[in-house]
Amino acid sequence: MNTLTSKLIAKDFHQHRWLLAGTIAIGMISLFVAGGGTPMLFNIGMLCWLTAIAAFGCVLAMLGISSERKERALLFVLSLPLSFGDYVRLKLFGLLLCFFVPWLTLTAGAIGLVLVKAGMPDGLLPFTILLCVFLLANFSMVLCCALFATSEGFMTLAIIVHNIAISLFIFLIGVIPEFYGHLQDPAPVWGPAFWTVLGIEAAFLVVICSLPYFVVARRRDVI
Amino acid sequence: MTQTKHIEMRNVRKAFRFFTLEDLSLDLEPGQIMGFVGPNGAGKSTTIRLAMGLIAPDAGEIRVLGHLLPENQAIAKRDVGFVSDEMKLFAHATVGWHMNFIASIYPGWDAEYAATLVKRFNLKPEQPVKGLSHGEHVKALLMLSLARRPRVLILDEPTSGLDPVARHELLSEFMDVLRDDSRSILFSSHNTVDVERISDRIVFIDRGRLVDSRDKEDFLDRWRRIQLQLAPGVTLPDLPNIVGRVVDGHFVTLTTNDFSTDLIARLGPAVREVHRMSLEEIFVASVLHHREVAGQ
Repeated sequence: MNTLTSKLIAKDFHQHRWLLAGTIAIGMISLFVAGGGTPMLFNIGMLCWLTAIAAFGCVLAMLGISSERKERALLFVLSLPLSFGDYVRLKLFGLLLCFFVPWLTLTAGAIGLVLVKAGMPDGLLPFTILLCVFLLANFSMVLCCALFATSEGFMTLAIIVHNIAISLFIFLIGVIPEFYGHLQDPAPVWGPAFWTVLGIEAAFLVVICSLPYFVVARRRDVI
Repeated sequence: MTQTKHIEMRNVRKAFRFFTLEDLSLDLEPGQIMGFVGPNGAGKSTTIRLAMGLIAPDAGEIRVLGHLLPENQAIAKRDVGFVSDEMKLFAHATVGWHMNFIASIYPGWDAEYAATLVKRFNLKPEQPVKGLSHGEHVKALLMLSLARRPRVLILDEPTSGLDPVARHELLSEFMDVLRDDSRSILFSSHNTVDVERISDRIVFIDRGRLVDSRDKEDFLDRWRRIQLQLAPGVTLPDLPNIVGRVVDGHFVTLTTNDFSTDLIARLGPAVREVHRMSLEEIFVASVLHHREVAGQ
């Protein structure tokens, strides 16, 4: 990574610092509420935690890429000594890194809540891990779409798909007996379904992050 | 030893759905200010984007400071300052943040010159970019480009939308840049007054084709408008290099793109007045003549 690339990534961190801090704060408060001891507080807390991560991902992709293009700051960035390929790579890496900070913190918080909180069954752990990895993959999808998109319509569609995908994921995981049958177990069950879903998520992540790298970064007409 | 041309375009072609830039060739020499003049939609911005590596040509070759574009644009752009009226700084940051940012990237950043420009342009480093007016925004962009001391400055309609005072300040600054004769400027505009003031080489472009390219003085020396009063029954002889002819009874106005005393001698006593033409008049006459010849 050269100086310019690291400066631009640092710029993204600087630009989104309050968004990062706000997401972490809201996510941690949500986890605190979720550990309140009643099913209702658990549901409210986890819904807010989920919304905080998902909304953060969408806003980050919009502000970091789409707005930069819309507000014509992209032309300023591309006047600097870098190619469009360099720009795509630094945005992909930089915004993934930006997402990682709250995602990792809130994932650790959720896993910690399941493991440490008395009365919270450890059987929730596989589902929690799969949901967190899914949120990362889902963000990567929006990020990839933002790099591909040249219109607001396409980006709006990507955000709609992102939001629907979360509900679909929870629903689909919920009907797999290996998960719903062990959610209340005192110990986690790391069965084949867990590893299969995790493998699919990991493969999706690799493919979705490679697409901008190998397709968008090779565009010869940028603006 | 010949110096590397700062910008070289050879037979460049770029086609879009509704517009094609065709067979464009131009050279920007070190120490030169090239005014790139054309009506809206002529292909000025397309040419400039090609010169910045933002779009790739379908055919032909583009070199900036000897580097082939768009492949080697990252290297070429180390020594190129680019400002466009469509360009914006990061809205969330201040002018001072941008100065620190650019200074940390470019080793040639001249902090003293930057401070001078900030003062001259009445910019406030602590001011957030989102609060800048259009004129202040353009000035901030130019300050950031100029203080890097680039070898080539590429400016796409930089004075568009500026008030006369701001335009004067910016144009004076461009002239200062050229005190160092190893630097050059490619300056696109549809404002011929600005171009005439600072350019020493002028390129006319229209509907994606290069119409004419000469030194400014050459343009101003060669183009004339000649007013004639013909005696009854006298017709005009067949004259070369006449690009415009307006007849009003016995009065005829000719426009020539190759004025000489021989021409006056051939026209004889019918000549009433000979006018030098402004660059704007030359530009309009040149473009209209080009369209007529091309049958458009």
